[in-house]
Amino acid sequence: MSTTNRLNVVPTVTVLAVVKNRLIGAQRGYKLLKKKADALSLRYRQILKKIVQTKLSMGENMKSASFAWTEAKYVGGDGIKHTVLDSVDGKAEIRVRAYADNVAGVKIPKFNACGSGSLIGASGGGSGETGTTTATTESKSELTGLGRGGKQIQKCKKAYKEALQTLVELASLQTAFLTLDQAIKTTNRRVNALENVVTPRLENTVSYIKGELDELEREEFFRLKKVQAKKKKDAKEREEKEESLSKGEGVVKGEGGSGAGPVGNLIDFANEKDEDLLF
Amino acid sequence: MFNTKDGFLEATVRGCVGGFLRTEDYSNLQQCETVEDIKLYLTSTDYGSLLQNEASPTHPSLIVRCCLKKIVQDFSFFDLVKAAEPLSTFLQYLKYGYMIDNIVLMVTGAMHEREVTELLDKCHPLGMFDSIASLGAVSNLRELHRIVLVDTPISAYFGECFRDENLDEVNIEILRNSLYKAYLKDFFRLSQMLGGLTAEVMKEILCFEADRRAVNITINSIGTELSRDDRQKLFSDFGHMHPEGQRDLALCRDFEQVVSVIVNSTYQNILQKSTSEEMNIDKVFYETEVMKCSSMFAQQFHYGIFYAYLKLREQEVRNLMWLSECIAQDQKYRIVDGVISIF
Repeated sequence: MSTTNRLNVVPTVTVLAVVKNRLIGAQRGYKLLKKKADALSLRYRQILKKIVQTKLSMGENMKSASFAWTEAKYVGGDGIKHTVLDSVDGKAEIRVRAYADNVAGVKIPKFNACGSGSLIGASGGGSGETGTTTATTESKSELTGLGRGGKQIQKCKKAYKEALQTLVELASLQTAFLTLDQAIKTTNRRVNALENVVTPRLENTVSYIKGELDELEREEFFRLKKVQAKKKKDAKEREEKEESLSKGEGVVKGEGGSGAGPVGNLIDFANEKDEDLLF
Repeated sequence: MFNTKDGFLEATVRGCVGGFLRTEDYSNLQQCETVEDIKLYLTSTDYGSLLQNEASPTHPSLIVRCCLKKIVQDFSFFDLVKAAEPLSTFLQYLKYGYMIDNIVLMVTGAMHEREVTELLDKCHPLGMFDSIASLGAVSNLRELHRIVLVDTPISAYFGECFRDENLDEVNIEILRNSLYKAYLKDFFRLSQMLGGLTAEVMKEILCFEADRRAVNITINSIGTELSRDDRQKLFSDFGHMHPEGQRDLALCRDFEQVVSVIVNSTYQNILQKSTSEEMNIDKVFYETEVMKCSSMFAQQFHYGIFYAYLKLREQEVRNLMWLSECIAQDQKYRIVDGVISIF
């Protein structure tokens, strides 16, 4: 309630209205931001859960993938590596596409693995499409290891494809996680600022202005009371004076006539002015 | 007669057989916790001299490389001794399989415009020949045949398979398998020409090899665009499954049918323990091969033991590769799936 924690304003009724409006705005903003923060942290926790799951399955997938490769090497011999390498034509079979997902107004980058066929890739996201595109590109390498180890190579390929899928998913989740983390931090800072700084300051200002206005009113009231009291006193004095005047008119006639004239005039003047003030 | 000409080399091979890892070695190796342990254990075997100078962070591929070196070492010794005529040809024939692989590797590499030196590194050392480096320069099959292969024994196989076709039009795997088919046929012819015990044992093992290839090609081509006729073209012209079994194999559409074809052939007994896993079929075939090869050592005065020695060494490389990969990848319970102890 110190003077520092309020706006530096002139305490008037207009300013009070303005500040009150601002206060209402701040409170509404606080509520909205709070909702946003809640939504974000809900998503945040979901993503966290998914990350843990994906990481666990990642380990599994990688393990089985590299073991599938071992199996292929066992059956096909070490030289099969070069055969596979040479059948690659430098075009990526799986591409990662990035797009933005919107959570409570926060843009979250997402990655999606899709096959090389750009037409199919453009038609929509999801893991289902990779299956269809690989089928078209597979025919080229499917005869690899025909003599020995072909099945194992296909198995290995599938296993690594799965691992890659998980990897992309994990990357997507991690990026989303970081972005969300940043967004949540900012939103929370705003929420806290609104809750702990802006709103109290506005409230303080409102109460300050109200206090000042009350103070003014009380001052005014007191002044009026004073004036009234003075008026009453004056009226009484005048009455007394008139009474005494009427009692001994002759004695103080000259004196009273010369002295009371301007005094009476003054009172009259004050009276008139009082009337003015009162109305 | 045999001993005067080939006795020394036969004795050498028999001596080398002592260098194979035994069943107890494998059971000891299975107890290893890290690849480093495997290396340590192997230093007390025949691989010791090759492994001891290797730097410390051991990778499974290092062990495999060393084992390959061992085979190459042995075979370069055979070359050094200069075997007498029929045996030297026989030994050369053993290398043709690797040569085919190398040629195919070089040709595919050349089509993708890779560096020749880089490709040479990838080639199998047993399949090297003098003009291999110039393979990187060829652009079509006829040129390949005319310039490079005409001096090599492989040229005959090429001529047999492809006369005028363009290199790009032939699928490289079909090329490889056609070459291999021609090679097996030629090897079969050679061993029959040698006659005697050699012909007998080699017939058995080459028939087995032909059948295995037929089965493998069938399994691997299920669900691919390879047509039935093309598939049958890749099968060898001999073997226990020729021709009825092969005809049946050509018709197979799924794995179960393949299994039933095998069961109907001479191989019914080997499949008994196999389940429906593809991996198991390979293992069963490898096991049978090892069995057949080691039984070759029971007889004397034939060339089959050289073939058997090579095949057993190959199996040992596979064993060690599997073992060290399993241990490196922390999948020790899978070790038994791949290791076939030789003796």
